[in-house]
Amino acid sequence: MIFSELYSAYYHAVAEILKHAVDHPLRKNEMRRIVEKYAFGESIRIVEPALTQERWQLLLPDGTTPVRAAPSMPMTLIQKRWLTSLSSDPRLRLFVDEPLDFGDVPPLFTQDDICLFDQYADGDDYTDPAYQKNFRLILNAIRNQYPLRIDMINRRGKQTHMNVLPKYLEYSEKDDKFRLFCLGHHFSGTVNLGRIARCGRCTRNYQKPFSREMPPDPGSVTFELSDERNALERVLFHFAHFKKQAEKIGEHRYRITLWYAKEDETELVIRILSFGPMIRVTAPSYFQDLIRERLSRQKNLGL
Amino acid sequence: MAYTELIKNFSRIRDYMRDFYIYGFKSRDDFTQKSPRSYDDERRRIESWFGDYMRFRQSAAGKTVFLSVDSRLCRHNPLYQAWKTKSFTDGDITLHFILLDLLTLADTPLSVHEITERTDAYLSAFTNPRLFDESTVRNKLREYVSEGILTAEKRGKTLYYKRAADTACYDTDVLDFFSEVSPCGVIGSFLLDLAGPKGIPRRDCFAFKHHYITNAMDSEIVCRLLFAMQEKRSVALEITGRDGNRRTAGCVIPLRIMISVQGGRQYLMAYTPGSGRIRSFRTDRILSVTPGEVSDRFDALREKLDGMRPHMWGVSTQSRSGRRTESVTFTVRYAADEQYIHHRLERERRCGTVEQIDGCTSRFSAEVYDVSELIPWIRTFLCRITEIHFSNAAVEAQFKQDIRAMYRLYGLEGGDAI
Repeated sequence: MIFSELYSAYYHAVAEILKHAVDHPLRKNEMRRIVEKYAFGESIRIVEPALTQERWQLLLPDGTTPVRAAPSMPMTLIQKRWLTSLSSDPRLRLFVDEPLDFGDVPPLFTQDDICLFDQYADGDDYTDPAYQKNFRLILNAIRNQYPLRIDMINRRGKQTHMNVLPKYLEYSEKDDKFRLFCLGHHFSGTVNLGRIARCGRCTRNYQKPFSREMPPDPGSVTFELSDERNALERVLFHFAHFKKQAEKIGEHRYRITLWYAKEDETELVIRILSFGPMIRVTAPSYFQDLIRERLSRQKNLGL
Repeated sequence: MAYTELIKNFSRIRDYMRDFYIYGFKSRDDFTQKSPRSYDDERRRIESWFGDYMRFRQSAAGKTVFLSVDSRLCRHNPLYQAWKTKSFTDGDITLHFILLDLLTLADTPLSVHEITERTDAYLSAFTNPRLFDESTVRNKLREYVSEGILTAEKRGKTLYYKRAADTACYDTDVLDFFSEVSPCGVIGSFLLDLAGPKGIPRRDCFAFKHHYITNAMDSEIVCRLLFAMQEKRSVALEITGRDGNRRTAGCVIPLRIMISVQGGRQYLMAYTPGSGRIRSFRTDRILSVTPGEVSDRFDALREKLDGMRPHMWGVSTQSRSGRRTESVTFTVRYAADEQYIHHRLERERRCGTVEQIDGCTSRFSAEVYDVSELIPWIRTFLCRITEIHFSNAAVEAQFKQDIRAMYRLYGLEGGDAI
């Protein structure tokens, strides 16, 4: 099953230690560096004495090991089953033409076993050969950091082009879309892959970007929550993916602060509205105004 | 027992991780179900595993410890670390590396006797060598055969063991992506650990928005349910209710995992023979899954679930009014240059229907089992709703009452304005 020592950080760290010890007598500081890298904060207190005091009889006092080959482990059945499951995911074709064949290994799941029931219906078309081709080129350009020339259709339906340095791809499961984060001389920001008409390696007239990679402009909102109709749990689950801080301020009353990217402010406004009177925004005041303005407009519609 | 960083049982730490990550406001005194020492040990473990993600806050109620993760900024789900903490014995780890090494070097498959002898030879280099008897070695070999890392073949009455063949794997881009978006993605994370850094630092090419990492904590439960579904088996579930009390849900036939990409929750849809209904179970409330018999009704029940989908907004399969289905219709108005509102309705309508009445007006309708499931979504259109009607009068009254409460909250209708 999944919770097995075969996948544990300690086994992984010891495999790395033995890889070095197979090659040359291992020094203690080398061992410490490996454990720090592959295991947890306090692991060195366990791993080092266990090996040096020969409770785990794998390392001799001179730093050599009776193990002769650099440790490696064949793939487990569950790993093969999980990989086999990917074959039925249309997104796999963005990466490879043909899925790997694991013989008669059954999949862990099929697409019929899973349903993302609230995913938006206008996701990207991963079966489109042009989309697949663009995706692969972009991925390669990110990996190898070369500029791209991108022709795209903007929101107004107008064709534009840009030369950019791609930084990373962002995927949203809710939208079922990929966006490219990139830097350019005239443009830095995001491009929806679904809007890209053509994409190629930029070989001339490329000017280095003005801007450096910047984190999204941050904003924060604080609201008070009244734990009725299981609101506390619903709200905290719903906003779980944000950096947040929650505190109890009274019987069944909580104060929650979320940090978000400013570009997503409108989305956050409507997500807060979705919780109705269970949530009351308390700061900042302009965010309160955003909510109040929508409610005021609704009131004027007579509901 | 002395504190160790590793754990034997995942279920207890699962509760603590949820409290630290999802809730994050509880102080030591709020963890009343276990002893203070137990709390201290679990907090120390989580701190050791998640280091940089741990935060502390001092308040009048005491010190609060919580996990703070902006999942848009981290490229790999940090909660997967918890699945890499299984405890083991000194013998387990010693035998693991020796067995794999000797079987890697062996030209032919080996019997248990031969393997035990060769193990002794490895250990003879130590001052006080451990001795593994044949039955211990046999048990470990059997375990590794069932895990798939060794294979066994019978010759006469004797089993001979060898390493399973090495197999190709997808590259790290595939693993980086699917370990975050695929069910049981932690398995992809295990594969990434094996791919490991090979001297050149890897560039992470993917980030994830609206990314709920919480479901990682339910990986083992979901995995067992998927196994059962693949084999069309019933399972016995042990669940916890809202009150936190443990109870048995009895034997059910698992049919599908339903994942909310907007709410962060994950559900099992299963047929419960006791009630004769298909209903949902939250996976984070499932404590254990025990496989049962193969069910010859699986295909028919899944077909039945498929047939129910046109009336399921979320995972509810029963109305609160007692009627088979309930309906809702609402109309929204927008400016001529706000056609994105109509597009929003189209892309978010699920089992509902959308009709554009004129260039500035659209109407949504749905007939579902439980109309109250739509209410949070309908509220996202506040400021544009010109008309709304629910077949369930109580739901309609509650909806309108809530809107008036919101007006009051923001000073638009008297009351305690902010």
